[in-house]
Amino acid sequence: MLVNEIMRRPVTVIEAATPLGEAFRQLQARGFRHLPVVDRGRLVGIVTDRDLRLATSSLSPAPRTALEPVSLVMTSPVLTADPLDPVEDAARIMRDRKIGCLPVLDGSDLVGILTGMDLLDALILLTGVTKPSSRLEVALADRPGELARLTAFLAARHVNIHSILTHPGADARVRTVLRVGSSQTRPLAEALRTDGFEVLWPAQKPWQP
Amino acid sequence: MAALIHRAEYAGYDFGPEHPFAPARLDMLLDLLQSLGHGVSPIAAPAATRAEILAIHDEAYVSAVEALDQGRPAPDAERFGLGTPDNPIFPDMDLATRWLVGGTLHGARMLMAGQEQRVLQLGGGLHHAQKDHAAGFCLYNDLAVAIQALLEHGWRVAYLDIDLHHGDGVQDLFYGNDRVLTLSIHESGHYLYPGSGHIQDLGNGPARGLSVNIPLEPFTEAGDYLEAFDAVVPRALAWFAPDVLVVQAGADAHFADPLGDLALTTQAFQSLYERIFSLADAHAQGRVLLTLGGGYEAQVVARVWAILCLTFLGLPLPEHLPAVWMDRWRHLLGPGVPGGLHDPASALPDLPGREARSRRNRDVVTRLLDSLHRLWL
Repeated sequence: MLVNEIMRRPVTVIEAATPLGEAFRQLQARGFRHLPVVDRGRLVGIVTDRDLRLATSSLSPAPRTALEPVSLVMTSPVLTADPLDPVEDAARIMRDRKIGCLPVLDGSDLVGILTGMDLLDALILLTGVTKPSSRLEVALADRPGELARLTAFLAARHVNIHSILTHPGADARVRTVLRVGSSQTRPLAEALRTDGFEVLWPAQKPWQP
Repeated sequence: MAALIHRAEYAGYDFGPEHPFAPARLDMLLDLLQSLGHGVSPIAAPAATRAEILAIHDEAYVSAVEALDQGRPAPDAERFGLGTPDNPIFPDMDLATRWLVGGTLHGARMLMAGQEQRVLQLGGGLHHAQKDHAAGFCLYNDLAVAIQALLEHGWRVAYLDIDLHHGDGVQDLFYGNDRVLTLSIHESGHYLYPGSGHIQDLGNGPARGLSVNIPLEPFTEAGDYLEAFDAVVPRALAWFAPDVLVVQAGADAHFADPLGDLALTTQAFQSLYERIFSLADAHAQGRVLLTLGGGYEAQVVARVWAILCLTFLGLPLPEHLPAVWMDRWRHLLGPGVPGGLHDPASALPDLPGREARSRRNRDVVTRLLDSLHRLWL
Protein backbone atom coordinates (compact mmCIF):
# COMPACT_ATOMS: atom_id res chain seq x y z
CA MET A 1 0.00 0.00 0.00
CA LEU A 2 1.44 3.31 -1.12
CA VAL A 3 1.04 6.82 0.25
CA ASN A 4 -0.86 8.01 -2.84
CA GLU A 5 -3.55 5.38 -2.17
CA ILE A 6 -4.48 6.77 1.25
CA MET A 7 -3.40 10.43 1.23
CA ARG A 8 -6.01 13.19 1.10
CA ARG A 9 -6.34 15.61 -1.77
CA PRO A 10 -6.73 18.35 -2.80
CA VAL A 11 -4.72 20.06 -0.07
CA THR A 12 -5.82 23.25 1.62
CA VAL A 13 -2.84 25.57 2.08
CA ILE A 14 -2.23 29.09 3.39
CA GLU A 15 0.19 31.80 2.34
CA ALA A 16 3.18 32.51 4.56
CA ALA A 17 2.01 36.09 5.05
CA THR A 18 -1.43 35.05 6.40
CA PRO A 19 -2.10 36.53 9.87
CA LEU A 20 -2.24 34.03 12.76
CA GLY A 21 -5.86 34.93 13.53
CA GLU A 22 -6.96 34.18 9.97
CA ALA A 23 -5.02 30.88 9.95
CA PHE A 24 -6.72 29.87 13.20
CA ARG A 25 -10.17 30.69 11.79
CA GLN A 26 -9.44 28.53 8.73
CA LEU A 27 -8.38 25.57 10.87
CA GLN A 28 -11.50 25.93 13.01
CA ALA A 29 -13.86 26.34 10.07
CA ARG A 30 -12.53 23.31 8.21
CA GLY A 31 -11.95 21.07 11.23
CA PHE A 32 -8.26 20.60 10.32
CA ARG A 33 -5.30 20.36 12.63
CA HIS A 34 -2.56 20.95 10.05
CA LEU A 35 -2.09 23.56 7.30
CA PRO A 36 0.85 23.47 4.87
CA VAL A 37 2.28 26.94 4.36
CA VAL A 38 3.26 28.09 0.85
CA ASP A 39 5.18 31.02 -0.52
CA ARG A 40 4.83 31.78 -4.25
CA GLY A 41 3.41 28.29 -4.79
CA ARG A 42 6.25 26.51 -3.01
CA LEU A 43 5.88 24.55 0.24
CA VAL A 44 7.87 26.41 2.92
CA GLY A 45 6.48 25.16 6.21
CA ILE A 46 3.63 23.65 8.17
CA VAL A 47 1.55 25.06 10.98
CA THR A 48 -0.71 23.20 13.41
CA ASP A 49 -3.54 24.42 15.61
CA ARG A 50 -1.27 23.68 18.54
CA ASP A 51 1.48 25.94 17.13
CA LEU A 52 -1.04 28.76 16.86
CA ARG A 53 -2.48 28.29 20.34
CA LEU A 54 0.93 28.06 22.02
CA ALA A 55 2.34 31.07 20.15
CA THR A 56 -0.60 33.29 21.05
CA SER A 57 -1.22 31.98 24.58
CA SER A 58 -1.13 34.52 27.40
CA LEU A 59 0.96 31.90 29.23
CA SER A 60 3.69 32.23 26.62
CA PRO A 61 6.67 34.44 27.70
CA ALA A 62 6.32 36.50 24.51
CA PRO A 63 2.83 36.02 23.10
CA ARG A 64 2.31 36.71 19.40
CA THR A 65 -0.65 38.81 18.25
CA ALA A 66 -3.36 37.69 15.86
CA LEU A 67 -2.01 40.03 13.19
CA GLU A 68 1.51 38.60 12.91
CA PRO A 69 2.18 36.25 9.94
CA VAL A 70 2.20 32.44 10.24
CA SER A 71 5.73 32.37 8.84
CA LEU A 72 6.91 33.37 12.33
CA VAL A 73 5.47 30.26 14.06
CA MET A 74 5.46 27.61 11.32
CA THR A 75 7.77 24.60 11.38
CA SER A 76 10.31 24.87 8.60
CA PRO A 77 11.74 23.03 6.80
CA VAL A 78 8.99 20.41 6.58
CA LEU A 79 9.37 16.66 6.50
CA THR A 80 7.54 15.36 3.45
CA ALA A 81 6.66 12.06 1.81
CA ASP A 82 6.73 10.93 -1.79
CA PRO A 83 3.47 9.63 -3.32
CA LEU A 84 5.17 6.32 -4.08
CA ASP A 85 6.54 5.76 -0.55
CA PRO A 86 5.17 2.65 1.12
CA VAL A 87 2.67 3.55 3.86
CA GLU A 88 4.72 1.76 6.50
CA ASP A 89 7.74 4.00 5.79
CA ALA A 90 5.64 7.14 6.12
CA ALA A 91 4.22 5.75 9.38
CA ARG A 92 7.69 5.07 10.76
CA ILE A 93 8.86 8.62 10.00
CA MET A 94 5.81 10.10 11.70
CA ARG A 95 6.31 7.87 14.73
CA ASP A 96 10.08 8.44 15.02
CA ARG A 97 9.78 12.23 14.69
CA LYS A 98 6.53 12.38 16.70
CA ILE A 99 4.69 14.38 14.06
CA GLY A 100 1.02 14.25 13.10
CA CYS A 101 1.20 14.68 9.35
CA LEU A 102 3.34 14.59 6.21
CA PRO A 103 2.71 16.79 3.18
CA VAL A 104 3.16 14.71 0.04
CA LEU A 105 5.37 16.21 -2.68
CA ASP A 106 5.68 15.04 -6.27
CA GLY A 107 8.79 16.95 -7.36
CA SER A 108 8.03 20.37 -5.98
CA ASP A 109 4.23 19.98 -6.38
CA LEU A 110 2.16 19.55 -3.25
CA VAL A 111 -0.14 16.67 -4.29
CA GLY A 112 -1.58 15.45 -1.01
CA ILE A 113 -1.37 15.24 2.75
CA LEU A 114 -1.12 12.22 5.05
CA THR A 115 -2.26 12.45 8.69
CA GLY A 116 -2.38 10.05 11.62
CA MET A 117 -6.09 9.59 10.88
CA ASP A 118 -5.32 8.39 7.37
CA LEU A 119 -2.90 5.85 8.85
CA LEU A 120 -5.70 4.59 11.14
CA ASP A 121 -7.92 4.22 8.06
CA ALA A 122 -5.10 2.26 6.43
CA LEU A 123 -4.79 0.02 9.49
CA ILE A 124 -8.52 -0.74 9.40
CA LEU A 125 -8.30 -1.47 5.69
CA LEU A 126 -5.24 -3.70 6.14
CA THR A 127 -6.81 -5.70 8.96
CA GLY A 128 -9.88 -6.39 6.83
CA VAL A 129 -12.46 -5.56 9.51
CA THR A 130 -14.60 -3.55 7.09
CA LYS A 131 -16.18 -6.69 5.60
CA PRO A 132 -18.33 -9.39 7.22
CA SER A 133 -15.65 -11.81 8.38
CA SER A 134 -14.37 -13.96 11.24
CA ARG A 135 -11.06 -14.05 13.04
CA LEU A 136 -8.77 -17.03 12.68
CA GLU A 137 -5.47 -17.07 14.57
CA VAL A 138 -2.78 -19.66 13.91
CA ALA A 139 0.75 -20.05 15.34
CA LEU A 140 3.07 -21.04 12.49
CA ALA A 141 6.62 -22.36 12.68
CA ASP A 142 9.07 -19.66 11.55
CA ARG A 143 10.29 -21.41 8.39
CA PRO A 144 9.70 -21.21 4.64
CA GLY A 145 6.42 -22.59 3.33
CA GLU A 146 4.34 -22.54 6.52
CA LEU A 147 2.17 -19.59 5.50
CA ALA A 148 1.79 -21.14 2.05
CA ARG A 149 0.59 -24.37 3.66
CA LEU A 150 -2.04 -22.39 5.61
CA THR A 151 -3.29 -20.39 2.65
CA ALA A 152 -3.35 -23.49 0.44
CA PHE A 153 -5.52 -25.18 3.07
CA LEU A 154 -7.98 -22.27 2.94
CA ALA A 155 -7.87 -22.06 -0.85
CA ALA A 156 -8.76 -25.74 -1.14
CA ARG A 157 -11.92 -25.01 0.86
CA HIS A 158 -12.71 -21.93 -1.22
CA VAL A 159 -12.41 -19.66 1.84
CA ASN A 160 -11.66 -16.07 0.90
CA ILE A 161 -8.99 -14.29 2.98
CA HIS A 162 -9.75 -10.60 3.57
CA SER A 163 -6.50 -9.89 5.43
CA ILE A 164 -3.44 -11.52 6.95
CA LEU A 165 -1.34 -9.99 9.71
CA THR A 166 1.71 -11.70 11.15
CA HIS A 167 3.83 -10.80 14.13
CA PRO A 168 6.51 -12.64 16.10
CA GLY A 169 5.02 -14.69 18.94
CA ALA A 170 6.51 -16.73 21.76
CA ASP A 171 8.99 -19.60 21.15
CA ALA A 172 9.99 -18.59 17.62
CA ARG A 173 6.48 -19.03 16.28
CA VAL A 174 4.77 -16.55 13.98
CA ARG A 175 1.34 -15.50 15.14
CA THR A 176 -0.82 -15.21 12.06
CA VAL A 177 -4.15 -13.43 12.31
CA LEU A 178 -6.53 -13.79 9.39
CA ARG A 179 -9.92 -12.25 8.69
CA VAL A 180 -11.73 -14.75 6.52
CA GLY A 181 -15.01 -14.38 4.67
CA SER A 182 -16.71 -17.32 6.33
CA SER A 183 -18.81 -17.76 9.44
CA GLN A 184 -17.64 -21.37 9.77
CA THR A 185 -14.27 -20.84 11.45
CA ARG A 186 -14.91 -23.33 14.24
CA PRO A 187 -15.20 -26.35 11.90
CA LEU A 188 -12.30 -24.86 9.95
CA ALA A 189 -10.19 -24.75 13.12
CA GLU A 190 -10.98 -28.42 13.83
CA ALA A 191 -9.84 -29.38 10.35
CA LEU A 192 -6.68 -27.28 10.70
CA ARG A 193 -5.83 -29.01 13.98
CA THR A 194 -6.34 -32.39 12.35
CA ASP A 195 -3.81 -31.27 9.73
CA GLY A 196 -1.28 -30.42 12.46
CA PHE A 197 -1.74 -26.66 12.69
CA GLU A 198 -1.61 -24.95 16.08
CA VAL A 199 -4.83 -22.92 16.09
CA LEU A 200 -5.02 -20.21 18.77
CA TRP A 201 -8.53 -19.01 17.83
CA PRO A 202 -11.18 -20.38 17.77
CA ALA A 203 -9.94 -22.09 20.92
CA GLN A 204 -11.28 -25.47 21.93
CA LYS A 205 -14.32 -25.08 24.18
CA PRO A 206 -13.41 -25.71 27.82
CA TRP A 207 -16.42 -28.03 28.20
CA GLN A 208 -15.60 -30.17 25.17
CA PRO A 209 -12.43 -32.10 26.00
CA MET B 1 -54.36 -14.94 19.59
CA ALA B 2 -51.14 -16.76 18.74
CA ALA B 3 -50.35 -18.19 15.33
CA LEU B 4 -47.57 -20.30 13.90
CA ILE B 5 -46.47 -19.93 10.29
CA HIS B 6 -44.76 -22.64 8.25
CA ARG B 7 -45.04 -24.53 5.00
CA ALA B 8 -43.30 -27.52 3.43
CA GLU B 9 -41.63 -25.32 0.81
CA TYR B 10 -39.31 -23.89 3.50
CA ALA B 11 -37.29 -27.11 3.15
CA GLY B 12 -36.22 -25.88 -0.30
CA TYR B 13 -33.90 -23.34 1.36
CA ASP B 14 -31.07 -25.83 1.26
CA PHE B 15 -27.39 -25.08 0.61
CA GLY B 16 -26.53 -28.77 0.30
CA PRO B 17 -25.59 -31.71 2.52
CA GLU B 18 -22.30 -30.25 3.80
CA HIS B 19 -23.84 -26.95 4.89
CA PRO B 20 -24.81 -26.22 8.53
CA PHE B 21 -28.08 -24.41 7.67
CA ALA B 22 -29.83 -27.75 7.11
CA PRO B 23 -33.59 -27.97 6.52
CA ALA B 24 -33.71 -31.19 8.58
CA ARG B 25 -33.47 -29.03 11.70
CA LEU B 26 -36.93 -27.62 10.98
CA ASP B 27 -38.38 -31.02 10.10
CA MET B 28 -37.12 -32.36 13.43
CA LEU B 29 -38.73 -29.47 15.28
CA LEU B 30 -42.12 -29.87 13.60
CA ASP B 31 -42.03 -33.62 14.08
CA LEU B 32 -41.16 -33.13 17.74
CA LEU B 33 -44.17 -30.86 18.24
CA GLN B 34 -46.43 -33.40 16.52
CA SER B 35 -44.95 -36.29 18.49
CA LEU B 36 -45.65 -34.42 21.73
CA GLY B 37 -49.32 -34.60 20.78
CA HIS B 38 -49.77 -30.92 20.09
CA GLY B 39 -51.64 -30.91 16.81
CA VAL B 40 -50.00 -27.70 15.68
CA SER B 41 -51.39 -26.58 12.37
CA PRO B 42 -49.23 -23.75 11.09
CA ILE B 43 -50.55 -21.23 8.58
CA ALA B 44 -49.10 -21.56 5.07
CA ALA B 45 -48.24 -18.08 3.81
CA PRO B 46 -47.76 -17.03 0.17
CA ALA B 47 -44.27 -16.40 -1.18
CA ALA B 48 -43.07 -12.80 -1.19
CA THR B 49 -43.25 -11.23 -4.63
CA ARG B 50 -40.30 -9.75 -6.46
CA ALA B 51 -41.71 -6.28 -5.73
CA GLU B 52 -41.86 -7.05 -2.02
CA ILE B 53 -38.20 -8.15 -2.07
CA LEU B 54 -37.29 -4.92 -3.91
CA ALA B 55 -38.67 -2.89 -0.99
CA ILE B 56 -35.34 -3.74 0.67
CA HIS B 57 -32.94 -5.18 -1.90
CA ASP B 58 -31.28 -3.71 -5.01
CA GLU B 59 -32.61 -4.89 -8.35
CA ALA B 60 -29.10 -5.76 -9.60
CA TYR B 61 -28.64 -8.13 -6.67
CA VAL B 62 -32.08 -9.74 -7.03
CA SER B 63 -31.47 -10.20 -10.77
CA ALA B 64 -28.16 -11.91 -10.00
CA VAL B 65 -29.88 -14.33 -7.61
CA GLU B 66 -32.54 -15.09 -10.25
CA ALA B 67 -29.93 -15.66 -12.95
CA LEU B 68 -27.74 -17.91 -10.83
CA ASP B 69 -30.57 -20.06 -9.56
CA GLN B 70 -31.52 -20.90 -13.15
CA GLY B 71 -27.95 -21.95 -13.84
CA ARG B 72 -27.26 -18.86 -15.94
CA PRO B 73 -23.71 -17.64 -15.38
CA ALA B 74 -23.14 -14.42 -13.45
CA PRO B 75 -19.41 -13.78 -13.45
CA ASP B 76 -19.68 -11.31 -10.58
CA ALA B 77 -21.45 -13.80 -8.26
CA GLU B 78 -18.91 -13.32 -5.50
CA ARG B 79 -19.45 -9.57 -5.55
CA PHE B 80 -23.00 -10.35 -4.46
CA GLY B 81 -21.74 -12.73 -1.75
CA LEU B 82 -22.89 -15.77 -3.74
CA GLY B 83 -21.05 -18.96 -4.62
CA THR B 84 -19.01 -18.83 -1.40
CA PRO B 85 -18.71 -21.55 1.27
CA ASP B 86 -21.27 -19.64 3.37
CA ASN B 87 -23.70 -18.97 0.52
CA PRO B 88 -23.42 -21.66 -2.15
CA ILE B 89 -25.63 -21.34 -5.20
CA PHE B 90 -28.52 -23.81 -5.35
CA PRO B 91 -31.37 -24.36 -7.85
CA ASP B 92 -34.45 -22.18 -7.35
CA MET B 93 -32.86 -20.28 -4.49
CA ASP B 94 -34.76 -17.12 -5.41
CA LEU B 95 -38.17 -18.74 -4.88
CA ALA B 96 -36.93 -20.79 -1.89
CA THR B 97 -35.96 -17.56 -0.15
CA ARG B 98 -39.16 -15.77 -1.18
CA TRP B 99 -41.19 -18.49 0.61
CA LEU B 100 -39.33 -17.65 3.82
CA VAL B 101 -39.67 -13.89 3.33
CA GLY B 102 -43.36 -14.35 2.53
CA GLY B 103 -43.93 -16.14 5.83
CA THR B 104 -42.35 -13.40 7.91
CA LEU B 105 -44.16 -10.71 5.91
CA HIS B 106 -47.47 -12.55 6.33
CA GLY B 107 -46.86 -12.61 10.08
CA ALA B 108 -46.40 -8.84 10.06
CA ARG B 109 -49.64 -8.44 8.08
CA MET B 110 -51.59 -10.57 10.55
CA LEU B 111 -50.42 -8.24 13.32
CA MET B 112 -51.28 -5.13 11.31
CA ALA B 113 -54.77 -6.49 10.57
CA GLY B 114 -55.29 -7.03 14.30
CA GLN B 115 -55.88 -10.71 13.54
CA GLU B 116 -53.25 -11.91 15.98
CA GLN B 117 -51.16 -10.49 18.80
CA ARG B 118 -48.34 -13.03 18.62
CA VAL B 119 -46.94 -14.70 15.53
CA LEU B 120 -44.11 -17.20 15.35
CA GLN B 121 -42.69 -17.88 11.89
CA LEU B 122 -41.02 -21.30 11.94
CA GLY B 123 -38.23 -20.33 9.57
CA GLY B 124 -36.62 -17.18 8.28
CA GLY B 125 -34.53 -14.90 10.46
CA LEU B 126 -32.10 -14.14 7.62
CA HIS B 127 -30.60 -11.19 9.49
CA HIS B 128 -27.21 -10.95 7.70
CA ALA B 129 -28.62 -10.28 4.21
CA GLN B 130 -27.73 -6.78 3.02
CA LYS B 131 -29.29 -4.43 0.49
CA ASP B 132 -26.97 -5.53 -2.30
CA HIS B 133 -25.45 -8.84 -1.25
CA ALA B 134 -25.95 -12.16 0.48
CA ALA B 135 -24.07 -12.88 3.69
CA GLY B 136 -23.81 -15.53 6.40
CA PHE B 137 -26.33 -18.07 4.97
CA CYS B 138 -28.84 -15.25 4.31
CA LEU B 139 -30.03 -14.35 0.79
CA TYR B 140 -32.98 -11.98 1.31
CA ASN B 141 -33.64 -10.22 4.59
CA ASP B 142 -37.12 -11.40 5.61
CA LEU B 143 -36.94 -9.42 8.86
CA ALA B 144 -36.17 -6.16 7.08
CA VAL B 145 -38.96 -6.74 4.54
CA ALA B 146 -41.43 -7.29 7.40
CA ILE B 147 -40.12 -4.28 9.36
CA GLN B 148 -40.46 -2.09 6.24
CA ALA B 149 -44.13 -3.16 5.90
CA LEU B 150 -44.74 -2.40 9.59
CA LEU B 151 -43.19 1.04 9.14
CA GLU B 152 -45.39 1.76 6.13
CA HIS B 153 -48.38 0.87 8.31
CA GLY B 154 -47.29 3.79 10.51
CA TRP B 155 -45.89 1.72 13.34
CA ARG B 156 -42.66 2.21 15.22
CA VAL B 157 -40.74 -1.04 15.39
CA ALA B 158 -38.38 -2.51 17.96
CA TYR B 159 -36.17 -5.33 16.68
CA LEU B 160 -34.52 -7.75 19.10
CA ASP B 161 -31.86 -10.18 17.87
CA ILE B 162 -30.83 -13.02 20.20
CA ASP B 163 -28.91 -14.98 17.55
CA LEU B 164 -25.29 -15.81 18.45
CA HIS B 165 -24.17 -13.47 15.63
CA HIS B 166 -24.63 -9.73 15.37
CA GLY B 167 -27.79 -8.80 13.44
CA ASP B 168 -25.78 -6.63 11.04
CA GLY B 169 -28.10 -6.74 8.03
CA VAL B 170 -31.16 -5.47 9.87
CA GLN B 171 -29.12 -2.93 11.82
CA ASP B 172 -27.45 -1.52 8.70
CA LEU B 173 -30.70 -1.32 6.71
CA PHE B 174 -32.33 0.88 9.38
CA TYR B 175 -29.21 2.56 10.77
CA GLY B 176 -30.49 6.08 10.11
CA ASN B 177 -34.22 5.44 10.68
CA ASP B 178 -35.58 7.03 13.84
CA ARG B 179 -38.68 4.79 13.83
CA VAL B 180 -36.73 1.55 14.26
CA LEU B 181 -34.88 0.50 17.41
CA THR B 182 -32.50 -2.42 16.83
CA LEU B 183 -31.16 -4.41 19.77
CA SER B 184 -28.66 -7.21 19.26
CA ILE B 185 -27.07 -9.37 21.97
CA HIS B 186 -24.33 -11.58 20.55
CA GLU B 187 -20.83 -13.00 20.85
CA SER B 188 -18.29 -10.20 20.37
CA GLY B 189 -17.33 -9.38 16.80
CA HIS B 190 -13.71 -9.13 17.90
CA TYR B 191 -13.66 -12.86 17.23
CA LEU B 192 -16.84 -14.06 15.63
CA TYR B 193 -18.53 -13.45 12.31
CA PRO B 194 -19.54 -10.88 11.05
CA GLY B 195 -17.05 -8.83 13.09
CA SER B 196 -19.43 -5.95 13.79
CA GLY B 197 -21.90 -5.02 16.55
CA HIS B 198 -19.67 -3.04 18.89
CA ILE B 199 -21.06 -0.84 21.66
CA GLN B 200 -19.94 2.27 19.79
CA ASP B 201 -22.23 1.47 16.84
CA LEU B 202 -25.20 3.52 18.02
CA GLY B 203 -27.04 4.61 14.86
CA ASN B 204 -26.77 7.64 12.58
CA GLY B 205 -28.27 11.12 12.52
CA PRO B 206 -31.79 11.19 13.98
CA ALA B 207 -31.44 7.48 14.84
CA ARG B 208 -28.43 7.96 17.11
CA GLY B 209 -29.06 5.83 20.19
CA LEU B 210 -31.43 3.54 18.26
CA SER B 211 -28.87 0.87 17.40
CA VAL B 212 -27.96 -0.97 20.55
CA ASN B 213 -25.36 -3.73 20.65
CA ILE B 214 -24.45 -5.98 23.55
CA PRO B 215 -21.32 -7.92 22.57
CA LEU B 216 -20.37 -10.67 25.01
CA GLU B 217 -17.11 -12.52 25.59
CA PRO B 218 -16.62 -16.01 24.18
CA PHE B 219 -17.73 -18.68 26.70
CA THR B 220 -20.20 -16.31 28.39
CA GLU B 221 -22.77 -18.29 30.40
CA ALA B 222 -26.43 -17.81 31.24
CA GLY B 223 -25.90 -15.68 34.36
CA ASP B 224 -23.87 -13.00 32.61
CA TYR B 225 -26.02 -13.17 29.48
CA LEU B 226 -29.31 -12.62 31.30
CA GLU B 227 -27.77 -9.93 33.51
CA ALA B 228 -26.65 -7.99 30.43
CA PHE B 229 -30.04 -8.53 28.77
CA ASP B 230 -31.89 -7.30 31.86
CA ALA B 231 -29.66 -4.25 32.20
CA VAL B 232 -30.29 -3.01 28.67
CA VAL B 233 -33.29 -4.49 26.85
CA PRO B 234 -36.19 -3.62 29.22
CA ARG B 235 -34.93 -0.04 29.58
CA ALA B 236 -34.56 0.37 25.83
CA LEU B 237 -38.05 -0.95 25.12
CA ALA B 238 -39.66 1.09 27.90
CA TRP B 239 -37.98 4.23 26.56
CA PHE B 240 -38.76 3.63 22.87
CA ALA B 241 -42.32 2.32 23.46
CA PRO B 242 -42.70 0.59 20.07
CA ASP B 243 -45.98 -0.49 18.45
CA VAL B 244 -44.59 -3.96 17.78
CA LEU B 245 -41.61 -6.13 18.69
CA VAL B 246 -39.86 -8.19 16.00
CA VAL B 247 -37.57 -10.94 17.31
CA GLN B 248 -34.91 -13.01 15.56
CA ALA B 249 -34.76 -16.06 17.83
CA GLY B 250 -31.63 -17.85 16.66
CA ALA B 251 -30.62 -20.72 18.94
CA ASP B 252 -26.89 -20.78 18.24
CA ALA B 253 -25.91 -19.15 21.54
CA HIS B 254 -26.35 -22.64 23.04
CA PHE B 255 -23.15 -24.14 24.45
CA ALA B 256 -23.19 -27.11 22.07
CA ASP B 257 -23.46 -25.05 18.90
CA PRO B 258 -20.70 -26.00 16.46
CA LEU B 259 -20.19 -22.47 15.09
CA GLY B 260 -20.17 -20.38 18.27
CA ASP B 261 -18.62 -19.89 21.66
CA LEU B 262 -21.41 -18.67 23.94
CA ALA B 263 -22.58 -21.07 26.63
CA LEU B 264 -26.33 -20.78 27.12
CA THR B 265 -28.35 -23.76 28.32
CA THR B 266 -31.92 -24.66 27.36
CA GLN B 267 -32.97 -23.32 30.77
CA ALA B 268 -31.46 -19.95 29.87
CA PHE B 269 -33.36 -19.93 26.58
CA GLN B 270 -36.62 -20.60 28.41
CA SER B 271 -35.97 -17.64 30.75
CA LEU B 272 -35.14 -15.52 27.73
CA TYR B 273 -38.39 -16.44 25.95
CA GLU B 274 -40.45 -15.70 29.05
CA ARG B 275 -38.76 -12.31 29.32
CA ILE B 276 -39.43 -11.52 25.66
CA PHE B 277 -43.17 -12.25 25.91
CA SER B 278 -43.60 -10.22 29.08
CA LEU B 279 -41.58 -7.34 27.58
CA ALA B 280 -43.81 -7.39 24.49
CA ASP B 281 -46.85 -7.21 26.77
CA ALA B 282 -45.39 -4.40 28.86
CA HIS B 283 -43.86 -2.22 26.13
CA ALA B 284 -45.05 -3.25 22.63
CA GLN B 285 -48.85 -3.45 22.97
CA GLY B 286 -48.46 -7.21 23.34
CA ARG B 287 -47.58 -7.47 19.64
CA VAL B 288 -44.66 -9.71 18.82
CA LEU B 289 -43.47 -11.34 15.59
CA LEU B 290 -40.77 -13.97 16.01
CA THR B 291 -38.68 -15.84 13.47
CA LEU B 292 -36.14 -18.61 13.92
CA GLY B 293 -32.52 -18.04 12.85
CA GLY B 294 -29.12 -19.62 13.40
CA GLY B 295 -28.58 -22.82 15.37
CA TYR B 296 -26.61 -25.69 13.90
CA GLU B 297 -26.64 -28.67 16.27
CA ALA B 298 -29.76 -30.55 15.22
CA GLN B 299 -30.70 -32.14 18.55
CA VAL B 300 -30.13 -28.82 20.36
CA VAL B 301 -32.13 -26.57 18.08
CA ALA B 302 -35.03 -29.03 18.02
CA ARG B 303 -35.18 -28.92 21.83
CA VAL B 304 -34.56 -25.16 22.17
CA TRP B 305 -37.11 -24.19 19.53
CA ALA B 306 -39.64 -26.70 20.92
CA ILE B 307 -39.30 -24.82 24.22
CA LEU B 308 -39.88 -21.59 22.28
CA CYS B 309 -43.02 -22.99 20.58
CA LEU B 310 -44.49 -24.41 23.77
CA THR B 311 -43.80 -21.22 25.72
CA PHE B 312 -45.28 -19.24 22.83
CA LEU B 313 -48.45 -21.38 22.84
CA GLY B 314 -48.68 -21.41 26.63
CA LEU B 315 -48.35 -25.18 26.75
CA PRO B 316 -46.55 -27.14 29.48
CA LEU B 317 -43.12 -28.60 28.78
CA PRO B 318 -43.06 -32.42 28.76
CA GLU B 319 -40.81 -34.41 31.11
CA HIS B 320 -39.45 -36.66 28.40
CA LEU B 321 -38.65 -36.55 24.72
CA PRO B 322 -41.06 -38.87 22.84
CA ALA B 323 -39.52 -42.25 22.02
CA VAL B 324 -40.97 -42.26 18.50
CA TRP B 325 -39.25 -39.00 17.76
CA MET B 326 -35.94 -40.20 19.19
CA ASP B 327 -36.14 -43.30 17.00
CA ARG B 328 -37.06 -41.43 13.88
CA TRP B 329 -34.18 -38.95 14.15
CA ARG B 330 -31.58 -41.22 15.76
CA HIS B 331 -29.22 -40.73 12.76
CA LEU B 332 -29.05 -36.95 13.40
CA LEU B 333 -29.24 -36.91 17.17
CA GLY B 334 -25.79 -38.17 18.04
CA PRO B 335 -24.90 -39.79 21.35
CA GLY B 336 -25.31 -36.86 23.76
CA VAL B 337 -29.09 -36.37 23.65
CA PRO B 338 -30.70 -35.86 27.04
CA GLY B 339 -34.00 -37.57 27.85
CA GLY B 340 -36.00 -34.35 28.09
CA LEU B 341 -36.29 -30.98 26.37
CA HIS B 342 -33.95 -29.43 28.90
CA ASP B 343 -30.20 -29.95 29.27
CA PRO B 344 -29.20 -32.01 32.32
CA ALA B 345 -28.16 -29.91 35.34
CA SER B 346 -24.56 -31.08 34.98
CA ALA B 347 -24.27 -30.16 31.29
CA LEU B 348 -21.59 -27.53 31.88
CA PRO B 349 -18.61 -27.86 34.24
CA ASP B 350 -17.19 -24.88 36.17
CA LEU B 351 -15.52 -22.89 33.43
CA PRO B 352 -12.09 -21.37 33.95
CA GLY B 353 -11.81 -17.59 33.67
CA ARG B 354 -15.41 -17.02 34.66
CA GLU B 355 -14.68 -14.05 36.95
CA ALA B 356 -12.58 -12.14 34.43
CA ARG B 357 -15.21 -12.81 31.78
CA SER B 358 -18.01 -11.50 34.00
CA ARG B 359 -16.03 -8.39 34.78
CA ARG B 360 -15.45 -7.66 31.08
CA ASN B 361 -19.11 -8.28 30.25
CA ARG B 362 -20.22 -5.91 33.01
CA ASP B 363 -17.75 -3.26 31.82
CA VAL B 364 -19.17 -3.48 28.32
CA VAL B 365 -22.73 -3.01 29.61
CA THR B 366 -21.66 -0.08 31.79
CA ARG B 367 -19.96 1.65 28.88
CA LEU B 368 -22.93 1.02 26.60
CA LEU B 369 -25.44 2.39 29.13
CA ASP B 370 -23.21 5.39 29.73
CA SER B 371 -23.44 6.31 26.03
CA LEU B 372 -27.16 5.55 25.82
CA HIS B 373 -28.13 7.59 28.89
CA ARG B 374 -26.76 10.67 27.14
CA LEU B 375 -28.73 9.91 23.98
CA TRP B 376 -31.98 8.77 25.58
CA LEU B 377 -32.85 12.11 27.15
